[in-house]
Amino acid sequence: MIETLLQLLLNGAASGGVYALVALGYTLVFSVLGVINFAQGALFSVGGYLTFLLMGGKIGVNGALPGWGLPGGLPFWLALLVAAAGSGLVGLLVERVAFAPLRRRNAEPLLALITSLGAGVVVVNLLQLLMGAEGYAFPHGTDALGGLPGALMIAGARIRTIQLLLLLTSAGAVLALSLWLERSKGGRALRAVAEDATTAQLLGINSEAMVRLAFFLSGALAGLGGGLIGVSVSLPGPYFGIGYGLKGLAVLVLGGLGSVPGAIAGGLLMGLAEALVPSAASGWRDALAFAILFAVLLLRPSGLLGRRTVEKV
Amino acid sequence: MSQPLLEVRDLSRRFGGLLAVDRVNFAVQPGEIFGLIGPNGAGKTTLFNVISGVTPPTGGSVFWRSQPISGQAPHRLNRLGLARTFQNLRLFDGLSVLENLLVALQRRPRSSALGGLLNSAGHQRAERQRLEAAWQLLEELGLTALAERQAGTLAYGDRRRLEMARALATGPSLLLLDEPAAGLNPAEKDQLCQLIGELRQRHQLTVMIIEHHVPLLMRLCNRMAVLDFGVRIALGTPEEVRRDPQVIEAYLGTGTGGSA
Amino acid sequence: MIDNGLLVQMLMGALLGLSVYLPLAAGQLSLATPAFYAVGGTLAALLSTRWSALGATANGGFPVPSLLLEMALGGVLAGLLALLVGRLVLRLQGIYLAIATIALVEIVRVAILNLPFTGGAVGIFAIPQPFDTAAGYLLPALALLALAGWLCQRLELMPLGRAMAAIRHDELAASCMGLDTTQVKLTAFVLSAMLAGSTGALAAHFLNTWNARQGSFDTSITTLAFVVLGGSRTWLGPVVGGLLLTALPELLRPVGDVRLVLFGLVILLGPVLAPQGLVTPALLERLGGWSLRSGASRKTENAQP
Repeated sequence: MIETLLQLLLNGAASGGVYALVALGYTLVFSVLGVINFAQGALFSVGGYLTFLLMGGKIGVNGALPGWGLPGGLPFWLALLVAAAGSGLVGLLVERVAFAPLRRRNAEPLLALITSLGAGVVVVNLLQLLMGAEGYAFPHGTDALGGLPGALMIAGARIRTIQLLLLLTSAGAVLALSLWLERSKGGRALRAVAEDATTAQLLGINSEAMVRLAFFLSGALAGLGGGLIGVSVSLPGPYFGIGYGLKGLAVLVLGGLGSVPGAIAGGLLMGLAEALVPSAASGWRDALAFAILFAVLLLRPSGLLGRRTVEKV
Repeated sequence: MSQPLLEVRDLSRRFGGLLAVDRVNFAVQPGEIFGLIGPNGAGKTTLFNVISGVTPPTGGSVFWRSQPISGQAPHRLNRLGLARTFQNLRLFDGLSVLENLLVALQRRPRSSALGGLLNSAGHQRAERQRLEAAWQLLEELGLTALAERQAGTLAYGDRRRLEMARALATGPSLLLLDEPAAGLNPAEKDQLCQLIGELRQRHQLTVMIIEHHVPLLMRLCNRMAVLDFGVRIALGTPEEVRRDPQVIEAYLGTGTGGSA
Repeated sequence: MIDNGLLVQMLMGALLGLSVYLPLAAGQLSLATPAFYAVGGTLAALLSTRWSALGATANGGFPVPSLLLEMALGGVLAGLLALLVGRLVLRLQGIYLAIATIALVEIVRVAILNLPFTGGAVGIFAIPQPFDTAAGYLLPALALLALAGWLCQRLELMPLGRAMAAIRHDELAASCMGLDTTQVKLTAFVLSAMLAGSTGALAAHFLNTWNARQGSFDTSITTLAFVVLGGSRTWLGPVVGGLLLTALPELLRPVGDVRLVLFGLVILLGPVLAPQGLVTPALLERLGGWSLRSGASRKTENAQP
């Protein structure tokens, strides 16, 4: 009983960590630009597929180049990091094509929602062209984890190693990002732009560079999440990131738009809540995040840890 | 003394640590022009926002013909007969001048949605009445020639007058004017002063007006209240207020108002 | 190229575009249209396959009056749901409303997937057909579109439509002018839902099968794209957007899988190249000298004393 509970909690925390990664990605962009990047889910997919290819995975029969793969094959950790960086670059590209042109002409924020959705559709379908719609399992299963055993016994409970790694990696990433935002010069500059772009500009901070940085980091976080989920579960098709993107959105609102601690707490809460859904009702699990979101929006529209804003009349 | 049209008792509004309106009391009598002055940040606009239902009070109450109305939604207060303009102009910029008025005239007279869909005789009659009322107001405020223009494209003074016309279109008994003379040149200010007097006559209005330009208020108002840091420091006729030492200290003494 | 089946789909696209347009005309970005579409479709699929009184025949036929009844019921059910949900979500502003409506779409999708009587992932199939050919569906689809267009056109000339426009420009000022903004927004939301529900009921028969995938986040995106690319300033915009963007993937079929990439590019580049959308009031003015927006004012010139 205790073991299953421990397992449940760990599972919940692990997926919660991934939700937090996605939500943090949204948060970074939202705090500097005040808009939501709806391509985030697609970047999640990119991370998963890039990790797969970098680890030496071959393209399947429905792909553009069946049987083709990158030469060699990086170890899991390296592949994950490179894939995250790659997703970050795609994130930069999304900023260039979907956000920058609108920003230059001060267009309605609603339009950025559409263009980023469009960018997401393009990215996901390019992935589908390249890789096909089929699912992929990772090349060496979990053996790829640098010789670690597939499962560990903790307090009498059998825990999949990958779940633990998932939790630790996302916790590490979140911690590193928070520290960076809090302590480093770059992080402080980013927060200054988020606070007040005009003043930051006057202080000599290049806000355009900070926007690009936010998009890169945001894409990298999503890519990291995609790679982790890919290895721990599988890649069920190029669209798999969209679902995570939507849940990340729920987490984002749950925690409060623009709040870093909120995104982390919201992610964990969502993951744990999902893990506690009994397996008999597992079909409903995907609705839970949105039901919680709904409830939170109605009770506290600024989110659990968000700031209330007052309109000036 | 007759029953006041509007009365505020111990009215307060707090934003976090800032007490923008601090236990303010006054009553506005039917038919008078009541001025509200005070330095920038004294809480005048906040007070208007609380009275018009835009911001709920954090303490005290507002009474309309002796009935408590605090906390009611703006549209309910408007239907009671309380209309306002905005300091920073909130016209429906993409709509024409005439349409701005038609929006405000929706309920004068009321007509059913079904009648509107079917373009019934009743709906057509109501529309005609609304249009007549709108043209009438445009003429009173000198906007007739601009009726078809988009509100967002008007010159500043015209936009100020359109805001007043739009508020009048809702058929108020109390008109709250938030700095109607801001940004106008002296000649325009004179005209505005005259216009407010005329409108009050013709529409049997009670007027509450926030204004920085003290001479204008002194000329226009029957009575006025002075706010400083959210506190009402004086209340009375312009003559009484002018001589109040606290007012001279807080407002006129600093030189922010007299020259503005 | 464009066969009758595609034409019917295009008309339904236009209808869904109008469903997104209605709340947007009142300044409310709602992505809930697919949820109401799914509710209407599921209702029709259930009724026609389970309720013999509607007159489904053994060889898969279905009386036309029953179809019309279902379209009405689908609209009513979706409208009731909107009434219930709208009271809660319409307090939210801007992006919060958009996200709450995405949540609604997902909840409805998961519900249809998991409810014991909606057929799970496979869905409900062998939905009876009131018409032998796709051409038969043209008439009800056109009739519904005509009704919706007439509604939108009338709205421009009556208090409700003006109230919607006022709220889109400045909700606070509108409420200070005596408009019950909650009521106006709710009305627009319910009308939008009814339109989507009726369209769903028609679509269920046309498509022959119905499952949870019919109303998903993807549909939210595409229907929003109808409005943004078509233009949200007049109701003709979403109609044109719905017709064109529904046809586009089919017309692009010859290029194979690249078509979805191209579709994405259209959504991506459309707002950059034409921020106002294809159909703007200025364009209409140039085309026929008739502007929908200023229709109200033009009518009024006679009334000037």
